[in-house]
Amino acid sequence: MIEYKTKTALVIDDYPNMRSAFRTALAAFGLTKVDMAATAAEALGRVKNTRYDIIISDYNLGESRDGQQLLEEMRHLGLIGLETVYLMVTAESLYEKVVAAAELAPDDYLIKPFNADIMRSRLDGILAKKEAFAQTYRNFDRGEMEAALAGCDELMKTQPKYLVDAMRFKGEVLVAMGRFEEASELYNEIVRLRAVPWARLGLARTLHLRNKSGEAERMLEDLVIQYPELIPGHDLLADVQIAQDKYQQAQVSLQRGVSTSGKSILRQRRLGEVAYHNGDLNTAESAFDATVQKGKYSIFLAPNDFANLSRVYIEQGETSDAMRVIQDNRKLLQESDEGKLVSSVMMGLAHSRNGNAAEAERHMKDALKMKQLGAAGKPELLLDMAEGCLKAGLADEAAALVGEVARNAHDSERLLAKAKSIYNDAGKAEVAQDVIKQATEHVVRLSKEGALLAQRGDLISATRQLFQAAKEAPRNPRVLMNAAWVAMRLVEQDPSQSHELAQVRLLLDDAAYLAPDHPRLGGLQTKLRSVEAALGIKSASPRKRTGQLNGR
Amino acid sequence: MEDNDLYAALLHEMKNNLVLLAMTLDNIPHCGEELHDAPLDAARLLAQRTSERLLQSLLIYKNSQGGVILNAVDAYSTEDFVQELAQHTRSLKGTLTVTAEVDDEVPAIWFFDRNMLEMAMINAVHNSISYARQQIHIRASIRDGMLAISVRDDSDGYPAHILEAVAEDRTLQTSGTGLGLRFARLIARAHQNEGKVGELRLYNENGAVFEIRVP
Repeated sequence: MIEYKTKTALVIDDYPNMRSAFRTALAAFGLTKVDMAATAAEALGRVKNTRYDIIISDYNLGESRDGQQLLEEMRHLGLIGLETVYLMVTAESLYEKVVAAAELAPDDYLIKPFNADIMRSRLDGILAKKEAFAQTYRNFDRGEMEAALAGCDELMKTQPKYLVDAMRFKGEVLVAMGRFEEASELYNEIVRLRAVPWARLGLARTLHLRNKSGEAERMLEDLVIQYPELIPGHDLLADVQIAQDKYQQAQVSLQRGVSTSGKSILRQRRLGEVAYHNGDLNTAESAFDATVQKGKYSIFLAPNDFANLSRVYIEQGETSDAMRVIQDNRKLLQESDEGKLVSSVMMGLAHSRNGNAAEAERHMKDALKMKQLGAAGKPELLLDMAEGCLKAGLADEAAALVGEVARNAHDSERLLAKAKSIYNDAGKAEVAQDVIKQATEHVVRLSKEGALLAQRGDLISATRQLFQAAKEAPRNPRVLMNAAWVAMRLVEQDPSQSHELAQVRLLLDDAAYLAPDHPRLGGLQTKLRSVEAALGIKSASPRKRTGQLNGR
Repeated sequence: MEDNDLYAALLHEMKNNLVLLAMTLDNIPHCGEELHDAPLDAARLLAQRTSERLLQSLLIYKNSQGGVILNAVDAYSTEDFVQELAQHTRSLKGTLTVTAEVDDEVPAIWFFDRNMLEMAMINAVHNSISYARQQIHIRASIRDGMLAISVRDDSDGYPAHILEAVAEDRTLQTSGTGLGLRFARLIARAHQNEGKVGELRLYNENGAVFEIRVP
């Protein structure tokens, strides 16, 4: 029997009568603390202040967000953990679609109309399962991956009822640890039991992480033909296509996803980026516009989204639209340093394209001031800024900006090409070569030397070189991860070097911030824990991988 | 377009109201007095049947528009499924004896779309509640390598024309029992695995037996 007396619940529904019906039913189960929210915003406010055992949310929450988006935002912000029950209530007309659209699945779905009895037995079932998984979830949340893994194995052996649930969670643990091959094998095993869509997705994802993108692509194509509403399938298909430089196909995949479910701003943003890469400015415009419109209610909206839209307008020659995007959202953009930087750069660039040199220069100088005060911006924005500076005759400033981008992206052909084109357009192609060479030369040399030294077994010198490379390219996740990896090998070999682990922690934290989904990251984080454990050092909890931008 | 929006909004409201009605009725406790409890049970059952009919007609309509694809097939506990169904049946009519049984050979988990299969089975439960004398038996077993969930009552059994219609795979009438059976068949058949297709079976064996087999 589940004890409900001590449990707390939050009911989210835009229909007042429904909220009170839920409250009455939950009270009849024995709950004494039941809170209510009418909107997603209200629910987020409540969850920030109170920890709930049970959240019951209607899928349809009126105009702003739906129950699925709300769940994703709560998880993303770390407001609810694996131990929280999330029960989604949906109409039958949406059920199949809602189920297929969920990458991050709630614990269960209730189809309307239903009665209190069914709700009770569903809650009983979910709570019993959470209890069985409690220790394993705790270990996972603390980053104790080996223990979480052992917990899954134990559940698989002793609780036949939870066999598939335990296998599913084990797959996530293995992926988080960077053990992709074992994860593939596990998903294969599940697929042999039954080819359920989530297991096929898991298999394709691990293949993609193992650089077998071709195989993953074929698998996903079959999957989305069979389940056209499976949004995560389209998303992952786009990922594996991009990994193979098939940007045209990736755009088609993302467009399919967007046409089935256009509400996610992350998907719209992605479509905009890929379309922009493909030079399809019309699609980029509508996707970035949708990002900004739908983003009004989303925590995922970032200042850079306004820069993306504004940039597309500028390239289409619609400078007044570009300015309008910034001016209409001035209040929001002024809330963060990055937003202020976006405002000045895009306004300056639009004026510059209009031939209004004085206004352009004024905005660019504002931007430079912001930058000097520490405002961060995406590399694309810094290159826009460089372009504006170059046109305003601020050549040194432009070179410094291009240099900063190049130093952090010596391995990105796309950004280096864009940097060159800025100088080309200004008729200074030869300057570009110099600027880029100067900026990247040193980092490239340090990285090469570091790798060579490591190969020869001189890990002390290798670590020194690679730490220096990381210092010079602090926004290049690959450089940071290489440095962390070699330093950990050094400590493993020579425990007297364990003081280097402090730096390793910082490098991995920054890498997680810059590239939260990088396939190497999980493996490195797990390695850090095992190196620490071997030395008897207590590990800090891993920083939440929020990927949020500075200043938001 | 405006008409469609209006219908959608009306339907949405109706479904919400049905949830409210069902939950309100569930919140009225039994008090052990026939005069109170019997009409309460009748009202609960009626609310359930109305919900069920609404859902089924909407899903059958949706199917006619392009087929039902089950996106939510997953591993579920067979024991929990049978117990949940039995508990639901008891709550609808406390005077009946409802028993649940899972054969030893049934695995702990099976793959199916629980919400859909449950809706189809509840349909049989509602039917049996109207005709059973004293007993309803819910059972999970293995038949032809498929999971068979059955609802058996101690009534006189199904009339011949219904048995024939289901056995011969004829179109079932669109009202009452026929509608429910059509829906159940639709859900059973939407369950497919390794070339096998789910089935709906009706037969009389010491009463009426409604059975859905999922591969």
